[in-house]
Amino acid sequence: MIPFKPWLKLYMILIRSSLQSRMQYKFNFILSTMLAAMIQIAEFLMVALVLYKFGAIRGWTVYELGYLFAIMTLSKTIYRSLASDVHHLENYLVEGQLDQLLTRPVPVLFALMTQNFRLMLGEILQGSFLLIWSMRHMMNSGQLHAMSIPYTLLMILSGATILFAIGLATASAGFWTTRIQELQTLTEDAAQTAAKYPLHIYPSWLKSFFLFVVPVGFVNYVPSLFILHGEYGLWLLLITVGVSLLLLILSLQFWSYGLSKYQSTGS
Amino acid sequence: MSTEAIIEVHELHKDFKLSVAKTGAFSGIRTLFSRDYRIRQAVHNISFSIQPGEFIGYIGPNGAGKSTTIKMLSGILHPTSGEVRIQGTSPGQHRRQVAAQLGVVFGQRSQLWWDLPVQDSYDILAQMYSVTPQQLRQRIGTLNDLLGLEEFWKTPVRKLSLGQRMRADVAASLIHDPDILFLDEPTIGLDIAAKRSIRVLLRSLNQEMGKTILLTTHDMDDIEQLCNRVMVINQGELTYDGTVQQLRERIGLPTLVRVIFQGPFQLPINLSTTLLPFDIPVKDLGFIRILEVDDRSVLVEANRQEIKAMDMLRELSTWGEVDDIHMNEPLFEDIIHTIY
Repeated sequence: MIPFKPWLKLYMILIRSSLQSRMQYKFNFILSTMLAAMIQIAEFLMVALVLYKFGAIRGWTVYELGYLFAIMTLSKTIYRSLASDVHHLENYLVEGQLDQLLTRPVPVLFALMTQNFRLMLGEILQGSFLLIWSMRHMMNSGQLHAMSIPYTLLMILSGATILFAIGLATASAGFWTTRIQELQTLTEDAAQTAAKYPLHIYPSWLKSFFLFVVPVGFVNYVPSLFILHGEYGLWLLLITVGVSLLLLILSLQFWSYGLSKYQSTGS
Repeated sequence: MSTEAIIEVHELHKDFKLSVAKTGAFSGIRTLFSRDYRIRQAVHNISFSIQPGEFIGYIGPNGAGKSTTIKMLSGILHPTSGEVRIQGTSPGQHRRQVAAQLGVVFGQRSQLWWDLPVQDSYDILAQMYSVTPQQLRQRIGTLNDLLGLEEFWKTPVRKLSLGQRMRADVAASLIHDPDILFLDEPTIGLDIAAKRSIRVLLRSLNQEMGKTILLTTHDMDDIEQLCNRVMVINQGELTYDGTVQQLRERIGLPTLVRVIFQGPFQLPINLSTTLLPFDIPVKDLGFIRILEVDDRSVLVEANRQEIKAMDMLRELSTWGEVDDIHMNEPLFEDIIHTIY
């Protein structure tokens, strides 16, 4: 295993210097941040507008929807910031950069994750804004209470873990197929977008798909059933955390298996 | 094999399975699930051992298995069979442990962080290799004297020239003070000045700091100026392992000699009845081959491994009064070309 302290320190250096190099182009940085935030907000506003016209989506209010949106955005942001290049493994396989990472005295996955830190300030702003806005309303109306805050934070972390695990497993498929973009569109982009809405609205086969095949439903929908609606009980949250850890372990094993295949066959 | 060897390679093999591409409908998918393979032997039965402090040139045509060997030595690829020991440890089984003792440079790609300033890459690497800030400062100081890193210290890597990038890359591989360096085409694409500065660095790393260096290159000047040992690989097999000098001798390419005579000269043949080139035997040693003849000079070639320069001169001076002589030793490039 990686000793935790140097691991953290390495990330700090990476984050610091990524920030500095992004700041060199201040105008570009501010503009792209604003744009990213705007795009996300616009997407939510569209849904909110529909809700405003027609009332709730199958019993979910606009605040609850905002909450689901925000959780997905924040979980995804944590995953994509800290493990940016896991999503871009294809480039490493095609251009042979993975060989470079194999010459480092650290686990290859760690070397890959620390190749890049992506600061997604726009997503952080939008996610935090939506989360605070929706939670405040639900607190005032008594739907949420003080314990909801730590529950929500736990949910964001386990959500990030689930998205990371799905991303890692998808990337690992690249050890066999080399090209993974199409697969990523399905397991990452489409699945994440779909899970911004309550899974209720989908036909049952699709709902099962998002719970058992590409389990993005566990990022926000499943734990929300307990946190927002008090359904099932606290154990639903524990199951969510359990699922995230299980997925993490499975995806790490799949990654190791893929990597050993790479080392014995070359690219 | 000697026990003090720093690198030992024993009967190393690497086969690649290439799936046979299908044609026709759904060819991509059918290729993916196909069980038809062609086996290509990338490295075949290679054994050698390297002593500490050696500077070795590893050469061969494209696709001969150079990079595959280096990848197996550094733990990137696992051998199909055979054994590699780096300071007694197998890189295939203990990749991370071996990686800490190696510096690896791939000339074609950078190991630095593309968007970050050069110095930040070193900070990250130092953290990765558990190098303390004091050690880092001291090593960077030494490397700066040799490579002049200061001029592009704060420049993002993507803005460096190729020569600067290569200097920064070589320095990056030395941050953790490894005993062994693997350099895969470190001078590729560089101009003469940049090549020279890389060579000066490599020589002093080897001679002053005692690093063991294995270098692959297509530039024969690299080999001639730096290496005390050459290994030639061709079609996956080691075809030569020895000194540069022995390699020259083994191939024995002819030396070209142009002789200019002071006045009239008399060849031991009748030009009007003989077709050139024509071989003239010299004692029992060998022969001098006459290639061209004009008014004042004659162009001949001879194998210097058979005929000494003095014997050649003696023979030539019997033809007429010699005014001047130009000798062209065979180019190392041509020697290598012959061995491929």
